[in-house]
Amino acid sequence: MKRYIIILVVIGALVAGTSLNSCKTAAVISSKSGAQIWGETCIRCHNPADPATFSDLEWDVVAMHMQVRANLTPEETKKVIEFLQSAN
Amino acid sequence: MKKIILSILTVGVLTVQAQDTLSTIDRQALQNYQSLKPGKSKFMLRGYYHTGFENVAEGDESKNQFNFGKIAPILMYKQSDRLFIEAEFEGEFEDGKFQWGIEYANMSFVLNKYMTIRAGKFLLPFGTFMEKLHPAWINRLATRPLGFGHDGIAPTTDVGVELRGAFYSGSVKINYQAYVINGPQLKDGTNEPEEAGMLKFGYFEDNNIDKSVGGRIGVFPFSNGMLELGFSGLTGKVGADGSVYENVRANLYAIDFSLVRNVNFLKSMIDLKGQYNYSQISDANYIVPDDTTGLFYDFNNISNSYYVQLSIRPSMIDNEFLRKLELVGRYSSLQTPEGALWEQNPTQTALGLNYWFDWRTVLKLGYQTTDGLGEHDAPTPITQNMFYIHVAMGF
Ligand code: HEC
Repeated sequence: MKRYIIILVVIGALVAGTSLNSCKTAAVISSKSGAQIWGETCIRCHNPADPATFSDLEWDVVAMHMQVRANLTPEETKKVIEFLQSAN
Repeated sequence: MKKIILSILTVGVLTVQAQDTLSTIDRQALQNYQSLKPGKSKFMLRGYYHTGFENVAEGDESKNQFNFGKIAPILMYKQSDRLFIEAEFEGEFEDGKFQWGIEYANMSFVLNKYMTIRAGKFLLPFGTFMEKLHPAWINRLATRPLGFGHDGIAPTTDVGVELRGAFYSGSVKINYQAYVINGPQLKDGTNEPEEAGMLKFGYFEDNNIDKSVGGRIGVFPFSNGMLELGFSGLTGKVGADGSVYENVRANLYAIDFSLVRNVNFLKSMIDLKGQYNYSQISDANYIVPDDTTGLFYDFNNISNSYYVQLSIRPSMIDNEFLRKLELVGRYSSLQTPEGALWEQNPTQTALGLNYWFDWRTVLKLGYQTTDGLGEHDAPTPITQNMFYIHVAMGF
């Protein structure tokens, strides 16, 4: 039981921490273009995916997959997906 | 004059007709478009396949064979911007029989900018190898490092719920995952006496009411995201309720790192990754196999393993052929408990040369040598050498 409480406290702290920093978040991400995020982020685990691989619709699904798997923030995902959809 | 008026009228009538025709076409096009307009929910089928040829020499024995590998179809379904399902099926030959298994199947719900909750069977974020690097078109070698996979000490998948997400603190990005799962289970020696004290991972009907908890925190110290450091832990009771092992606990830890960079003076992309796993299971007495007098033995049940992998791909040079080549080297080591019947202390060096047809299709040539492998019941160290040619394709 104690462990569950600890976990809840940790999660609570994380949430509190994130809302405190939410203004800065936008600053770091908004200074980068979708292409830059793609070049920096999408190379970390596998080769960067060629934008031409998928249609706009398919990129939409893949983006959500990667948002979850690669722990991307929704802002990062949105920028990358818009870049991929414009370059395919 | 009459002629002029007549021609103006004709042009006028034709224009009106043309406009009429055009708007009919427009309307038709619009109708067509609207009937094709995608809805909110989207479905996608993808996956990967790998197969190859292997030569394995162990002691005086040598085996040459084509290997079926694994076909892994993946279903992805996006219900809305918040709801997502992923499921990976794996089809492979086990003991000569083709079998389908399920690697993961889970649904995610995006709660807010910082949190996504997942439920179902998922790859455990214990380090990065299993969750993020093991698929054949991602793993730069055809084999897994020591400590992962069959008889490994690192957890693989489980069933439960997970909370995950990412946020920035200044320019430092932090991502986290925390989960509650059924948890690993202790092999108490009933079925395979020589494996007493090992953990089994994956999904089984839970053997106790205690749930295991774990998580990972990953930190990107630089704003360009080239370096990530990760810390993971997993703890829980692993023994079966009602058995003498019911208080046996496992505490598992991992540290991982990843450094991926384009290095201009080498005109190459450098990828350096590694993971250290530590597993500690409380002491317990196990029955000596084939003994009728009821003798027990015990040992200090601590294991660890690690790997470091470096790959270099000259992705910025002019020669198109060389640009598609990649050199990989990996060193890994595994240490299982002294005194256990599964005691082993192997080390492995693996080298590979890859040719990338595209970003997710690769031909892998590899050589790997593993020293200090032991049989469960006769731990005389042996060396295994392996050559392979594999092809892997993400689709
Ligand atoms: C943390 C590691 C990681 C990062 C970072 C990452 N990916 Fe992936 N990606 C994966 C894994 C793992 C898979 C394979 C999923 C599977 O087979 O279960 C994958 C699969 C894919 C696929 C195949 C289709 C699919 O959805 O499975 C595409 C396309 C893709 N990634 C694109 C991207 C893009 C674009 C980015 C940058 C926004 C990105 N990835 C960043 C780990 C990562």
